[in-house]
Amino acid sequence: MKKIQVLSDLIYSAANSSEDLFFEVASNKVLYIYLKDIEEVSSIHFEVGDNSNIQISVFARKSIENENLTANVGENSRIAVYYADFAIEKNILNASINLNKNNADCEWHLASLASSNDDKEIAVSIYHNHPNTHGRIDNYGVCEDNSKLLFSGVSHIKNGSHQSTSHQNAKIVVFDDGCKAIARPILKIDENDIEASHAAVVGKINDDHIFYLTSRGLTVEESKLLITLGYLKPIAKGFNEETANEIYQLIEGRL
Amino acid sequence: MTTLKIKDLHVEVDGKEILKGVNAQISEGETVALLGPNGHGKSTLLNVIMGHPRYIITKGSLYLDDVDITEMTTDERARAGLFLALQNPAEVPGVINSDFLRAAVNATSEEKISTYKFYKVLDNATKELKMPFDLATRSLNEGFSGGEKKRNEILQLLLLKPKIAMLDEIDSGLDVDAINVVADSINKQKKEGRGFLVISHYARLFDLIKPTRAIVMINGRIALDGGPELIKRIDQTGYEFIKTEYGIEIEKEDANMNTVSIGSCAVKETIK
Repeated sequence: MKKIQVLSDLIYSAANSSEDLFFEVASNKVLYIYLKDIEEVSSIHFEVGDNSNIQISVFARKSIENENLTANVGENSRIAVYYADFAIEKNILNASINLNKNNADCEWHLASLASSNDDKEIAVSIYHNHPNTHGRIDNYGVCEDNSKLLFSGVSHIKNGSHQSTSHQNAKIVVFDDGCKAIARPILKIDENDIEASHAAVVGKINDDHIFYLTSRGLTVEESKLLITLGYLKPIAKGFNEETANEIYQLIEGRL
Repeated sequence: MTTLKIKDLHVEVDGKEILKGVNAQISEGETVALLGPNGHGKSTLLNVIMGHPRYIITKGSLYLDDVDITEMTTDERARAGLFLALQNPAEVPGVINSDFLRAAVNATSEEKISTYKFYKVLDNATKELKMPFDLATRSLNEGFSGGEKKRNEILQLLLLKPKIAMLDEIDSGLDVDAINVVADSINKQKKEGRGFLVISHYARLFDLIKPTRAIVMINGRIALDGGPELIKRIDQTGYEFIKTEYGIEIEKEDANMNTVSIGSCAVKETIK
């Protein structure tokens, strides 16, 4: 396992390495970690101290056999994860975030594009192990051709974790009849005095939306592209301009 | 001068015939009021002209000058110079209004517009319509008020400069000041030679934009085609005179629906 002490903003490439990664962020830090070329790595862990505010951005482009992404979040600390999944063929991702201390907070954003014969299973779970912890999961996906896309995961507010809040939102747009898309956001609540919600939407692009855009001169293909960009584009705000442009080009190229 | 010709148009929705032989024409430079009771096919006609896939043309044709557009797709019709401001514009989450507007401008004009020029045009158009510029940076119609949606339709009209624009109840949901702003914009565009086909149930908008002609749609057909004085008459007396003077029986909306009412009758109906 490779242990990395993160002291300031970090851009980390794991190209040509399958070694497990352990990122340690001390207390009282505000920083940004950008991970790329992580496709060979099967375990990535973040240990975040107290009073820190961390943004973690991950950009996946190639096939991922099995990846476990875990994090422990300390007191008054917040992590915001932006995961841009443009992996091809396969992506099996299991993410588990542990909110272990008072006022630990996690905001998770994922955008996933599944096309041709891609097969993706993405499970994101947040565990509320302490009172007054806060989690939010937003998973957005686009599924086309003969691809499969599954969003699952659990928001678990454990016994004693009162005054916690947990929200899950999963949306998948389906383009073709050969697609298989499932969104299964699960809430497990073992405590009163909490706030929690979950929502799942899986469906084709609304015909009225297509009519509206085409009535302004855009072709059906251009309209679909604009709607898809609208779905996946928000993830780009978690990346620098160069990577954001790369993400836009990838979307346009694949559709 | 471009003319839209509607010839013996028959249209079905979900197997039910809504338009039963519509004949009409609208040219650039004309402003035509489209009147008629609720449920008699006015909105259907505009949607069919724009090529909405839900409406099936079973007979008849549409021409733009001498070009038959009956088989054209919606986007082809838009690029040929038709525009429809929708009664209930869709909310499209995630699609940024200005991205959409720019894509639409590029789709309907021969040359691609530069970012700088586009924002200048957009800035001028939003000022003309007294719209806050931030509406352009939000998701398309998402969370817009009824009035904001309608102004956003007129904004698109201003940017796309079609030959013939159809407005479906553009004044519903607008307050008095907003109606004046929209009417001023329409009047300005009339001077540029744009043709308008306008549905409204209120004389106020027509007082402001002064149509050159009025057509009245009854039972899925054009019952009357006349001067703007028709608007005033209908506003004051309703549609009753069409029956007494022209002998046209006005079919009631929903006449074929609710043959079974809910509750005990419906249960009996099901048992049968």
